[in-house]
Amino acid sequence: MEHTESITPQAGDLLVIVGTVKGVFIFSTNRERTRFKVAGPWLKGQSIYSIAYLADRRTPRILVGNFSMHWGAVVSWSEDFGATWIEPGDGNVKFPQGSGLSLNAIWALETAPLVGPDVLFAGTDPAALYRSDDRGETFRPVESLLQHHERPYWLPGFGGLCLHTILPHPRDPQCIYVGISAAGTYRTNDGGETWTRRNKGVKMEGGPPHAPHFGPQCAHKMRYDAKNPARIYLQNHPGVYRSDDGGDSWIDIGNGLPSVFGFPIVAHPSQGDTAYLIPLESDQFRVPIDGAVKVWRTRDAGESWAPLGEGLPQRDAWFSVLRDAFTADGLDPAGLYFGTRGGQLFSSADEGESWRSIADWLPAVLCVKAVEVR
Amino acid sequence: MRFHLPSALRRWAGGNEIVEMSLPLDVRMTVSEAILMLGRDYPAIRQRVLDDQNEIRRHVNVFVDGENVRYTQGGVTPVSNDTEIWIYPALSGGCGCRFDDGRMTIDQKSH
Repeated sequence: MEHTESITPQAGDLLVIVGTVKGVFIFSTNRERTRFKVAGPWLKGQSIYSIAYLADRRTPRILVGNFSMHWGAVVSWSEDFGATWIEPGDGNVKFPQGSGLSLNAIWALETAPLVGPDVLFAGTDPAALYRSDDRGETFRPVESLLQHHERPYWLPGFGGLCLHTILPHPRDPQCIYVGISAAGTYRTNDGGETWTRRNKGVKMEGGPPHAPHFGPQCAHKMRYDAKNPARIYLQNHPGVYRSDDGGDSWIDIGNGLPSVFGFPIVAHPSQGDTAYLIPLESDQFRVPIDGAVKVWRTRDAGESWAPLGEGLPQRDAWFSVLRDAFTADGLDPAGLYFGTRGGQLFSSADEGESWRSIADWLPAVLCVKAVEVR
Repeated sequence: MRFHLPSALRRWAGGNEIVEMSLPLDVRMTVSEAILMLGRDYPAIRQRVLDDQNEIRRHVNVFVDGENVRYTQGGVTPVSNDTEIWIYPALSGGCGCRFDDGRMTIDQKSH
């Protein structure tokens, strides 16, 4: 693969932005997605927990939540496809004085074009939601969630108490879902004034059965169905679920999978009822089953699943795939991309039917985002 | 009072290794207060040394006249106009772990 000092994409080109534990890389390609160039790393030595892309036609902005073990976390951005980065001197995501909380990392960045063209949400560890109205330059906490009365019952998972998923509703600007480990799914229907827990039907692990909707609910990742936003797919810590009523209830769709443990779940960008996930062996052994990497796909909203593995390593692959390290582009046919903690980046240009490695020796991959340049 | 900055922070202080700050001779304050005062001119230094509650970050070591304040009085260690303050990234910061009340937690989106 060709390495380039800078990315100068044309309209219609595709960027695969990869956040790793040691910086951010950008892979660029055209719509054929057969040849990639790579540039980076930038923000060297910092862990890139999250990526967003504000597709302003004049100055598209790539934003990342970068984290230094020593010096903390900020939201930084580039308006020249990575050539230069604005890393704010003063912190732009901060917990209020007196809250007793201090930012560890920025796990999620999400645009919300229906809420506003310049709006960006950030999810953090400790679990909180932040909102920016100036394209990610400054943020303020969503107080209603920060002060939520159930907060004392939220418990940190292995990676901390993090708000890792933000789903602004694609048709209703007042509705947003967030995923918190370990608290589960919360929804607002009033633009963030109030939040209600939406875990009914989700099996709880690590707590008593008589309190199944509370406490250690460890949502790993949620995604909207492409056609029906009332339908949401959930990869939970111990299970795979679907809601058909906007999160009011969840049904188990794990039947047919070799394991229901995993981190990411990806909905097809345009086909309803279609989603992908990457099962790992178990909570205690977070690797592909038997060392063979398979992406599993459903085309009937989880009623059945089928493995896809052509081109993926089918033996001796002992990496994990993190919750934000699997994504889809918006092209037709859809492209899929996932990065591993072993530093590989795999892509499919045919909806998951076949795969190939784009990169083999990256630092551990934390997050991947594919964007089309317009 | 003189602050000795590590190389990683100098870009936030005009490239300077040492930043001096004058206090009235009779004024004493805590080292955290001194870093906050430094932050008036160099907010990015304060941001990277102190957390959101103005506590010294877990993986930053601050030495006051040669003593690591982590083993003395922490952020309330007294300083005065003739104090030398060194700031260092802790060696622990590269391990991908953090320690909360003696319990190790894996960072970096660990799963």
